[in-house]
Amino acid sequence: MENKPSSSPTSFVDQSVVPGDVVLDLSNMTNQTLKLGGGLRQDCDAISVMKAGKLRFSNPNKYWVESSQKRYVPHAGDSVLGIVVDSKADNFLVDIKGPGLAFLPVLAFEGGTRRNIPRFEIGTLLYVRVVKANPGMNPELSCTDASGKAAEFGQLKDGYMFESSTGLSRMLLSSPTCPVLDALGKKLSFETAVGLNGRVWVFILFLRPSYL
Amino acid sequence: METRLANIWRLTVNEKKFIETALQSDLRIDGRRPFDFRNISIKFSREEGSAEVQLGQTHVMAFVTAQLTQPYKDRPNEGTLSMFTEFSPMADPSFEPGRPSEAAVELGRVIDRGLRESRAVDTESLCVLSGKSVWAVRVDLHILDNGGNLVDAANIAALAALLTFRRPECSLGGEDGQQVIVHPPEVREPLPLIIHHLPIAVTFAFFSNESTVVVDPTHYEEAVMGGRMTATLNANNDICAIQKAGGEGVLQSVIMQCLRIAGQKAYDITTKIKNAVESYNTERALRKIKRHPSSVALDISGAGVNIGKNQNKPVPQKGDSERSNLTSEKSVADQSMDIEGEAKSSEQQQTNKIDGDAKNFIGGPSSWDPYPAGVNSDFLKASLASHGITMPSRKEQDSRGENMSGEAKPVEPPEDINVSSSNIEASETVLRTNGEKTLKDAVKPKNKRKMKSSSTSGR
Repeated sequence: MENKPSSSPTSFVDQSVVPGDVVLDLSNMTNQTLKLGGGLRQDCDAISVMKAGKLRFSNPNKYWVESSQKRYVPHAGDSVLGIVVDSKADNFLVDIKGPGLAFLPVLAFEGGTRRNIPRFEIGTLLYVRVVKANPGMNPELSCTDASGKAAEFGQLKDGYMFESSTGLSRMLLSSPTCPVLDALGKKLSFETAVGLNGRVWVFILFLRPSYL
Repeated sequence: METRLANIWRLTVNEKKFIETALQSDLRIDGRRPFDFRNISIKFSREEGSAEVQLGQTHVMAFVTAQLTQPYKDRPNEGTLSMFTEFSPMADPSFEPGRPSEAAVELGRVIDRGLRESRAVDTESLCVLSGKSVWAVRVDLHILDNGGNLVDAANIAALAALLTFRRPECSLGGEDGQQVIVHPPEVREPLPLIIHHLPIAVTFAFFSNESTVVVDPTHYEEAVMGGRMTATLNANNDICAIQKAGGEGVLQSVIMQCLRIAGQKAYDITTKIKNAVESYNTERALRKIKRHPSSVALDISGAGVNIGKNQNKPVPQKGDSERSNLTSEKSVADQSMDIEGEAKSSEQQQTNKIDGDAKNFIGGPSSWDPYPAGVNSDFLKASLASHGITMPSRKEQDSRGENMSGEAKPVEPPEDINVSSSNIEASETVLRTNGEKTLKDAVKPKNKRKMKSSSTSGR
């Protein structure tokens, strides 16, 4: 472990790491801005791992540790499935399986104004995007994508929801399409929404509901 | 406060609609039919009177203990049975530590009523000295995981624990015959409770659609249901208790149908409990028999007993007097004790005889055993318990005639407890797999030792 840090960071990428591993040595890299995602921490010049999992890198400069658990840690940019817990004047309180409830502003919908605030009853399932997720603060959500369009976000009607681990969700979302979904698609026609927080919603257009 | 809100499990409207729609076509989310129970698994631990029941994802443990107390003034001849429930916070995010919630109290009450009103547990036999001293039996129920239908699972656990519980024997002594002497288990074999019948609780969940009824609701179904009813019956179709607390109104015909179904389920579950308890008792008797050769052998030296047989079950907790008590009290143990007794007295032609008897008596477990049951299991227990201590050294320890020796005892029991505290079935299978290897090893050193020691057995 001591030998590696000065070598190029790519040697650790896509490899399993455990807490305590030093994966990057900043003294070698100058004038670069790195984005550190979940599971990484900066100790002066060294980037060390906090969570066991696989180190991932995405261009141009983002590193994070990915692991499969039941618990979800909210990150900005994730698409998740949330359940409405309460509605306040300014936002809805939504449960996204994270450490705290998340806020969904009532205006965060495409074409949302004070006049057409949607009414969600308690227990409604929503497909939302995490806008802000700072540690210590409640995450903020939105039902639009970055450019303001609806893009399939919003309430999910009918169907059935079940919970899974975060790793399974990621696998279902991976590209090319996960073989499970392919195989199922051959037999049935269905619609599915997978949240990175470990929730999966399925809807099958049949006269009789069936299981997955 | 917010964190707690976030941790509660919530039901979405999608799930609710889905479950209800599915039930209309007689489909349940885990694939069961409406009147199917989940898989029940009953396990016992080494301590007598404790049972662990798993009903699908629901996990419950029951412990039975007894103490001598003063009886109630209006019932001087009867012992008491009391039930305590603990809803552990690890079972469900909504369970709080501290005072039992309404649901916890209701659960305890339903099970208690089933046992008490129907007089399933014979309380008069728990009386030691009328008006002064009776046994108070206490059942502690711990909910470890809430997967729905806690009442049924807890009921099964309580029954299994009561069936395998053994209370110490006590007798009256002292100058005026008024003093109660409690005999420790080493001296006198503890007695089982007298249980007349087994009241089984069967829970039904009602939904808002017409007369949709399901048996054994899961956690999800419980969140969606409109009402529930618990019927406690025994295998003879006697209704011991019915509990329907609030919820939806239900037609009388539906109730009657539920009771009929409950009767069938009660019968099935009674059989399951009885089988589990029986195999546990057999297991325990088997363990005791293995111990006896060690203690008896040294005492009854006149019979030319094979010291080699003193395998390590040095659990010399049983002395001679206990042995004789054992024969008089336990029927199951009886046969085996007699068999062993005969085997000991007529040493010479043992092997076949024991083998045959053991086979007759024990059936399955010993059929894998080409060598006498006594030797074999002792050895294997030794190999398990010693965790690497070599066989010969152990035997030497034994052959030094430690019947009730201080050294052997404290060392062995903790190891034994460690070993057999794991699932009894697991240890059995381990025994079987080890059997092949260790038997040969077992026999040879034994023979060598026999030549050294004074025994007269011929092998």
